[in-house]
Amino acid sequence: MASPLAQFEIKNIAEASVGGVNVSFTNSALFMVIAITAITLFLVLGVRKRATVPGRWQSMAELSYEFIAGLVRDNVGQAGRPYFPFIFTLFMFILFCNTIGLIPFSFTPTSHIIVTFAMAFAVFIGVTIVGIVKHGTKWFSYFFPPGAPIYMAPLLVPIEILSYLARPVTLSLRLFANMMAGHTMLKVFAGFVVALGLLGAAPLAILVGLFILELIVAVLQAFVFTILTCLYLHDALHLH
Amino acid sequence: MTERDPGPSGPPLKDLKARIARVREREDAAEAKRQGRANLSGSGVVLRVGIELAGTLAVGVAIGWGLDRWLGTGPWLLVVFFFLGAAAGVLNVYRAVKNLGLAAGYRRDLDPGDKD
Repeated sequence: MASPLAQFEIKNIAEASVGGVNVSFTNSALFMVIAITAITLFLVLGVRKRATVPGRWQSMAELSYEFIAGLVRDNVGQAGRPYFPFIFTLFMFILFCNTIGLIPFSFTPTSHIIVTFAMAFAVFIGVTIVGIVKHGTKWFSYFFPPGAPIYMAPLLVPIEILSYLARPVTLSLRLFANMMAGHTMLKVFAGFVVALGLLGAAPLAILVGLFILELIVAVLQAFVFTILTCLYLHDALHLH
Repeated sequence: MTERDPGPSGPPLKDLKARIARVREREDAAEAKRQGRANLSGSGVVLRVGIELAGTLAVGVAIGWGLDRWLGTGPWLLVVFFFLGAAAGVLNVYRAVKNLGLAAGYRRDLDPGDKD
């Protein structure tokens, strides 16, 4: 039987190398492409009819749009509107990667820390640039809590900077840990089903429950990643 | 205006500010409650707190270790940054738990209207 971690293995589908850098098309890349294709089809075909009274599919497409629009409005405010396309793309991408990864024999790109870290780091860099462009040098006052006595600065500023630098790490770690732990757990319980023979009905029942839980976690983690991006953006736009 | 003053007896605008503040406070409390409910899914909070604490500490240790290697200052910066990382981790956990609004930044104004 395959190891519970075998599902995270990266396999090359088409080998390629540009200037010594490995740019092979892997199963991870394949499922990212599948996720993006699915999102595009879901949204473009969903709103194709442009019905005044939306059908089921159009409702779902509009609902996802309005959900993120509301999230941005509530958490960032009016100033966050230019960043809506980015946040919407981020949410849909993570959501589709997470949920498509739950289909048997598929691969979950978000179960690899390098994928989640790349996204979190892009958010971190973007938010920092937005903050500096909008506030100039005043942005650096972010690292000193207002109202604290000035002689505390040598202690407080390094702590604040560390706390800020930890953002991309914790943001990516959260999504990655949830996805990886969930998929490993599913695989371990699936192994029990086979090994126990007839008695395997018990772990199978647990597996059904776990799968529903994983489905919730997949949606919830996409939401958490998005709302944290919104809050970081809010901090950058409004300081404190 | 739905709360129109019934007669000329009461000063209609005198306590308007206080009334607005009262309504806003009530809405904020309701909003905070809603947010708390949405994010208080047991294991989620535990995992979040753990990751926040360990992740921030790891960043501190990594920076200390890297600076030590770069500057050759023995184990001292590692020690300093270990404690700074631990403090920052506790700070992040405190902020995350304080409003359970998943914020890692400063106090988040729950005012839905925009200040800018």
